Order: sequence, then C-alpha cells, then structure tokens
Amino acid sequence: MWWRRTLSSSYRCYLERRRSGAKIWRCLTRPTCGAPAVPAGRITALQALDVWKRHFVENGVTEPEQSSQHIIAHLLGAKTIESVEQQRLAEFLSKEETQQVWRLCSKRLSRMPVQFIIEEWDFRDLTLKMRPPVFIPRPETEELVELVLTDLQNHPGSTETPPTCLEVGCGSGAISLSLLKSLPQLEAFALERSQDAVDLSRENASRLGLQDRLKVYHMDVIKDAEKMPGLFSSISVLVSNPPYLFSEDMATLEPEISRFEDRAALDGGEDGLNVIRQILTLAPDFLSNRGRIYLEVDPRHPALIRRWVEDNVEELRFVETRQDVSGLVSASSRKRSHIRPLRWIRIEKPRSYYAGFSSGRLGSARPPHT
Amino acid sequence: MSSLLPITSSLLGASRRLMWRSTPGLSPLLRLTPPAPSWVVAFGKKDLPDLPVLLEEELEEQFVRGSGPGGQATNKTSNCVVLKHIPTGIVVKCHQTRSVDINRKRARDIMREKLDVAYKGELSELVVKKKESVLRKQEKRKRVNENLERKRLFNEALAVDNKPGDDTA
Repeated sequence: MWWRRTLSSSYRCYLERRRSGAKIWRCLTRPTCGAPAVPAGRITALQALDVWKRHFVENGVTEPEQSSQHIIAHLLGAKTIESVEQQRLAEFLSKEETQQVWRLCSKRLSRMPVQFIIEEWDFRDLTLKMRPPVFIPRPETEELVELVLTDLQNHPGSTETPPTCLEVGCGSGAISLSLLKSLPQLEAFALERSQDAVDLSRENASRLGLQDRLKVYHMDVIKDAEKMPGLFSSISVLVSNPPYLFSEDMATLEPEISRFEDRAALDGGEDGLNVIRQILTLAPDFLSNRGRIYLEVDPRHPALIRRWVEDNVEELRFVETRQDVSGLVSASSRKRSHIRPLRWIRIEKPRSYYAGFSSGRLGSARPPHT
Repeated sequence: MSSLLPITSSLLGASRRLMWRSTPGLSPLLRLTPPAPSWVVAFGKKDLPDLPVLLEEELEEQFVRGSGPGGQATNKTSNCVVLKHIPTGIVVKCHQTRSVDINRKRARDIMREKLDVAYKGELSELVVKKKESVLRKQEKRKRVNENLERKRLFNEALAVDNKPGDDTA
C-alpha cells in the first residue's frame, strides 16, 4: 500500500529558548510527504479548518474546503460542519484532537478519499463503514434505490412473498442494505467477487442489524458462471451498479479513484458492457416471472443494451430508461443544461415466458428448470 | 392599489401554475417576504396538509458537484443541493446531510414551506402591510402639504401686516 509509505512520520526535536532563558524541548511529528507540522500552541477548530483548507489548496487537493470540513466535523462527533455548534468550533482543541486532525488531514494530501479517511459515509438514511479498496457508493446510486423502491410500491410486479432481491457486485452493501432498511419483508442476496467487499458488506449488515436478511456470496458472475444455474430462483428484483466504465475512461480517473478504489469495481471492458452483458445473460434463470432488473449504467449504454437484449436474451423485455437528476444547469442564463445523463435502465422478465401463451392466466407458469 | 385586487382574487381561484405564469409582476412583491425562520416554521407546522404541491417541471435543480461525468468516474463529497422555483424565483440551498438524496428531499420540504409563506404572505400580512404603509405615506404627505400651506399663508399674512404698519418701532 504505497500511501502508507508516504505517511511515515519522522520526529524532529529542537530546543526552544524562552525569553526567560529557560530551554524547552519541543517535538514535532512531521509526516514525510510535506504535510505541515502539528502546531506547538493551541488551535481552535475554526483555525484548523482554515489552515488545512489552505494546505489543500496549496497542494492541489480537490474539494479543499469540504475535505477539511468533513474530516474535522467527524472528529468532533458530527456528520457535517454545519451541525457543530459555533461555540465548539471556537474552543481550543485538545492536544489529542489536534493530533488527530493533523493525522487525518495529512492523509488527504495523498488524495485519499474523505470517505476512506474517516472510514464511513452516508448512503440515503444509512451510515456505512468504508474501507479501501472497496468501492465507495456514489450519490447517483441513491437515486437508483429510490427508483426501485418507488417501482415496488407502484407496480408490485411479481407476487413473490416474501419479495427477494439479488444484488450483483454489492461492494460495501449500500444498495442491498438500503432496500432492506426500507422494506422490512425483503430478503436480499448479493454476489461479490472481492473478498474485501464481501467482508465489508457483512460487517455493515451486522452494524445495521440486517445480517439475518442479507446473504452475501463470494462469487464472480463471469468466472463462476457455471455455478450459477439453480443458485437462485424466483427473485423479484435484480439490482446492480456493475462496473460500467469504458476502458478509455479508466485511464483518466482522478487520483482519489485510481489510487484507492478497486479497479475491478469500475472497469467494464472496452465498451463498458462486459459485466452488464453477463448479468443480463444469467438473469432470466434467477428471476421470477414479472421479475425486474435495475441497472445503473453509463449514459452511452441504454440504446446499446436495449439492442443487445433484443438480439440475445429473448426472455427479457426492455422497459425504460431513466435519467439521473444531475442535469448540469449552469448558474448563468445560458443554460448548458438538460444534459441529463440517461443512467438507469429497467428490464423486465415478462409473464409470458412461453411465447405461445399470450392470453389467459399465467400466474403459475414457471420456467422448466426450476 | 386597486389594480392588485383582480390579481389577488385570481390567486385564490386558478391553479397555481397558471397563476404564477400570468402574474410575473408580482415577483418583486414576493421578494419582500421576510426570511424570518420562525415565520416559516409556524406556517409549516400549522398548515402541513395545505403546503403547496411542488411541480417538478417548475423546479431547477443544481448540484454543486463540479462539471464532467458523474457516476463511477468521479468521487466528490460535495452534496449541496440548490433548488430554484422558476415561477417565483425562490431559491433553496440544502447541505444538511452527507446524503444527496436526503438533501434533495429536504430542499423540497423547505421549498414548500417557503412557497406557502409566499402565497399566504401575498394574501394577508404582506399586502395589508404594504397597503398600510402606502396609506401612511399618503397621510404624511397630506399633512406636510397642509403645514406648508399654513406656513405660507401665515407668512403672507405677516408680510401684509408689516407693510403698512411701519410705525410700530
């Protein structure tokens, strides 16, 4: 782990002569990557915020203000700096607190994501533990969960009781745990190829008391494909934020991602569709009739996926594409806006699994191999 | 001020969307809405079922997440949501939590409260206060003019008195 090397500290001690003539030894911890030394005197949280914001700016660290705010708020026991009382911010930090601030903020100089520095982050109404190299949940994925929940409420679809969901590539467990929290009857399964992520998902499930309703399998949808048939059946919802970046995008990732997050969680191959195609190939086997698949994808994907499904997976029917909300509206009157990336797709396994049955009740029709 | 009356009566009847589109001249009036938080809270709590319905097509949402692609390719921690209600120009900023989704929901709740104040403020306190202040100004002007007139007459009378009677030494 190269970042550990850069953060090795060295102690520098010097003699400080006071005006009275007395000599006092002072020791400073100096992280070797050029981080500022811990101040000798006392400092308030507000001052620390300012000092570190300036350090981040000087070192070209992105989001300098938010970084220092998130880290220091976390050390003060809060989630946001806005929720810390003004009085607390103006108080002197203790020696230990100051050292903690310096220790954590120095990590940010190596472009470690804030979520890995404070080892947690929020996803919708959950606080999840974060640990490198497990992929950090993105805000867009919160909208995916919202979409799934809204859909389940409005269009129940398959009438399986209890409803079940399968997540492919669960990472830290964000999507599954969020669904479990919102739907008390739901049972969740998850497939994850990274042992680190499997461990983290299970840890997060325990911390939230949801471990009884989430089963995480350490499996790779591509490499372990032959083990898949029969593993799951009658799943109501298959959901995934699979690796979907194009290979060319992998080359231009910011350091926060390229240095600290698992590349396999991002790389979807040349056209970004390797994992997605595999999921869609295996899905009909897992899904109940009227079961649905929800995928987060790259904005360039929906049309490609639709065509591919039509040509290759006759058991599935493309339902819709939804846009995410980050329509980039610029502040000026010239709106660069309505660049609304098409980001999620919904695919359904229709009830009429057998093409011949076009009318009449098919509620009990099942694929032959279940 | 009588021109305000037909407009206020249309506020009551028509659907809110049409209402705002046809009365753009009222926006300056709305910006006088005092930002006092206690006022907003009072309306919110009392009138929860009556809070205006937000129409998504009237809202403009902006995330301060920087430019460029989103999704897996970026990892930004800024999650401030800026919500603008196009017809009224009211803007709400929310970065209360670390979840963008929750911030979006809260921004909409705050927007509903602000719109409620804006609408109700239109019909009651604000309009009445404006009317009163205008009336007061008119009264004041009238009084000032009357005083000036009285002084003028007094001075004229003095001038007339002083001219012939020069023997009062």
